[in-house]
Amino acid sequence: MFLRLVADSFTRRPRRKVLTAAALSLGMAVVTAALSVSLDVGDRLATEFRSLGANLLVTPEADSLPLEIAGVDYRPVNRGAYLPEADLPKLKTIFWHNNVMAFSPTLEVPVESWTPQFSPASAAFVKPAAHGDEVLIGAWSNHEVRLPEGGSFVTGLEQTSPWWSVEGAWFNDSAAECIVGRNFAKKNAVLIGSPVYLEGPIPGEGLRLTVTGVFSSGGREDDGVVAPLRVVQQYLQKPGKYRKLLVSALTKPEDDFARRDPKTMKADEFERWSCSPYVSSIAYSIKEVLPGSDVRVIRRVAEGEGSILTRVRALLWMVTLVALLAAALAVGASSAASVIERRTEIGLMKALGAGSGTVGFLLAAEQLLLAFVGGGIGYSLGTVLARLLGQKIFGIAPAPSLLVLVAVLALAAGVTLLGSAIPLRRASRYQPAPILRGE
Amino acid sequence: MPEPPRNNGQMFWRIVRRLLVANRGRLFVILLALGAGAAVTAALLNLQVDAKRRLTTEFRAFGPNVVIGPREAVDSDGPPHFLDESMLKQLPDGNDGAPLAYAAYLYGVVDIATPPRERDQRPAKTTSVILAGFFHVPLGPSSVVPAALVDALEKVGPSNARRCQVGQKVATILELRAGDSIGLTSGNRKVACQVYELSAVGGPEDSQVFLELPAAQALLAEPGRISLMQLRLSGTPQQIQDQVARLERRLPGADVRPIRQFTEGEAKIYGRISGLLAATVVMVLLLTSLCVMAAMTNVAMERRNDVGLMKAIGGATRRVLHLFLAEAALLGLAGGLMGAAAGMFLSIWLGKQVFGVAAQPRLIVYPVAVALTMMVAILGAYPLRRLASIRPASVFRGEA
Repeated sequence: MFLRLVADSFTRRPRRKVLTAAALSLGMAVVTAALSVSLDVGDRLATEFRSLGANLLVTPEADSLPLEIAGVDYRPVNRGAYLPEADLPKLKTIFWHNNVMAFSPTLEVPVESWTPQFSPASAAFVKPAAHGDEVLIGAWSNHEVRLPEGGSFVTGLEQTSPWWSVEGAWFNDSAAECIVGRNFAKKNAVLIGSPVYLEGPIPGEGLRLTVTGVFSSGGREDDGVVAPLRVVQQYLQKPGKYRKLLVSALTKPEDDFARRDPKTMKADEFERWSCSPYVSSIAYSIKEVLPGSDVRVIRRVAEGEGSILTRVRALLWMVTLVALLAAALAVGASSAASVIERRTEIGLMKALGAGSGTVGFLLAAEQLLLAFVGGGIGYSLGTVLARLLGQKIFGIAPAPSLLVLVAVLALAAGVTLLGSAIPLRRASRYQPAPILRGE
Repeated sequence: MPEPPRNNGQMFWRIVRRLLVANRGRLFVILLALGAGAAVTAALLNLQVDAKRRLTTEFRAFGPNVVIGPREAVDSDGPPHFLDESMLKQLPDGNDGAPLAYAAYLYGVVDIATPPRERDQRPAKTTSVILAGFFHVPLGPSSVVPAALVDALEKVGPSNARRCQVGQKVATILELRAGDSIGLTSGNRKVACQVYELSAVGGPEDSQVFLELPAAQALLAEPGRISLMQLRLSGTPQQIQDQVARLERRLPGADVRPIRQFTEGEAKIYGRISGLLAATVVMVLLLTSLCVMAAMTNVAMERRNDVGLMKAIGGATRRVLHLFLAEAALLGLAGGLMGAAAGMFLSIWLGKQVFGVAAQPRLIVYPVAVALTMMVAILGAYPLRRLASIRPASVFRGEA
């Protein structure tokens, strides 16, 4: 009898039920979309912030003081310390190895570019009359790093400095090729395909490279030449060494806890600290796998990123919360209205001897059924909406999450029950006679 | 249709009034739904307008995004090249409603002499180090110099002794402590100062020694000269581009270079976040129509008997429809006025939570939100069209 009553209520006035279910689905669709996007946005934006480049800088600990003005180190090659390239694969073995998005070691040396004798494509070069202040940077372009546990990882300057725009092509990592900065190319009249001749710290010994591209970085590198790390290492007779390592890592914005000195932490605090991907805890674990290194957080990038990420996340959660509240109110209101409407029916049931409990139970069952159907439809609609939004904004759709489905169904059930509970309480006090008389 | 007589108009409004107040509970439910819609519309629209502006200000955390340096001389004889200090006066006063944040630096190599120390019999030592003379406006959170340097300048009270801010790496390698006195020499000129150690910033600043610009100019014998200026331009990517172009025209002797790492990164992030905010508008529209729909379908459904009666006693369909549209518009207006006001306060609070600064209520948002609610309320009354086809007799017979 109970089931028949419920089924009857759905089939007798389907239009009414469809409308309530539509309101419910629309509300739950908005909630689903807002929740999915909010859950996803932190990761997406953190990835987006990696377009600012590296947020960690590794230098040798035993280094002498760099004499660096505007990005050019004026130290002689033989001074200062170096780090071994062979240790680098270990970066992908740290606890946060999945957060290490890219890294690229560099080796810099001031050089002088010789002028070609006849034309830019000429093979003979002469020493320039004036001293140049070019810089030769050895780096990886798209280097394949073999990982200790098998597999490989492709990384290089292209990943750590994504804002560089290269006309032509990057150099091949093992060839005597190079890309030259925009200003360098203009000053020395270098074209793609033409050779350059650079003389460094060792007089009489030059380096001849073929230009494969012209790049623009907007920084001091525009006056220089970037060549494969191995070529520069050989030229400087420093095989397998580098001086500076840029690491780009996905991090969690730092809070007060993250800024504490790990040395002063208790064991459990230290564990919590090193198990959160704070930029400082990633720096700490990098230092542990690269002996003799000094790992610094590039504050400018890390802190700017942290503050903006925190703000945007907060903004999105607030918006989600407001959307949730409004959807809940609307859905609650519409289910309240659907109960108010059925006063006559309630009166009749009571006149036939149904208790308040039975009537409440019947209506609650109806509303719950509606909530699950509406919530389910809303969830699928919302997932589609979230996919559209995610695709439009980030180019990647958020993965549907079971958590959201559970949350949405729970919310739908809660809101419809709560919405109908208030008029039901009043309905339980109804005297059947006046209602049936139409008063 | 003839113009209805005057007393008929009175009757019209009387009916509308009775329709509205006939069922208090229902009226409350409808106003709640409409008000919620209006509140969300007002709050999110207001926040959306405000958030974009706030975000461009937030990008200040990245520090300078434009460098002005000397134009590359063709017959260059290696570094250093300089700019004239007077160029600082040619910079614009403001930027995006705030004073322009800029800093000027003069770089040079000096010898740093550390005094002998008795404790471990360390002899006096001399090392080469980069000296950075600096001058900057303004001091505070929107400054373009590294935060560590701002902290250092704010924390240290006035003192007679000249201070120099020593980068963290310099301090570590030379084992300098706060308060040590060191000597900086260049040629035969010498400056003595007291050490203030900066916290690590992860840039070249860690291996530099900072000194106020005039003192550095005197020490390096480069009076009135600077090596470069750093600026923070804020605004949308397009605004920044325009400003760079304007600066280039204003300073023909200098090389104005946006730091692409930041300008491009910021542009990209700005685009993404604007996208997110636009998505909130989609949600706002959906939510508003949801709330209004929830309210109006009830109105339509409950009116069958009323319409039947009105038609039975000779009410024209048009006039009956007008009656209900007026009711819908009135409900939308009332719900909109109350809800939008609540929404404005909500957005002020939200802005405070998110950005730490209360969102400025934009008055334009209020009428927009009210109008939007009314419009959707009238559109939501669309199902009322079906009332036209109601046949009084079947309603009275109780047929559904």
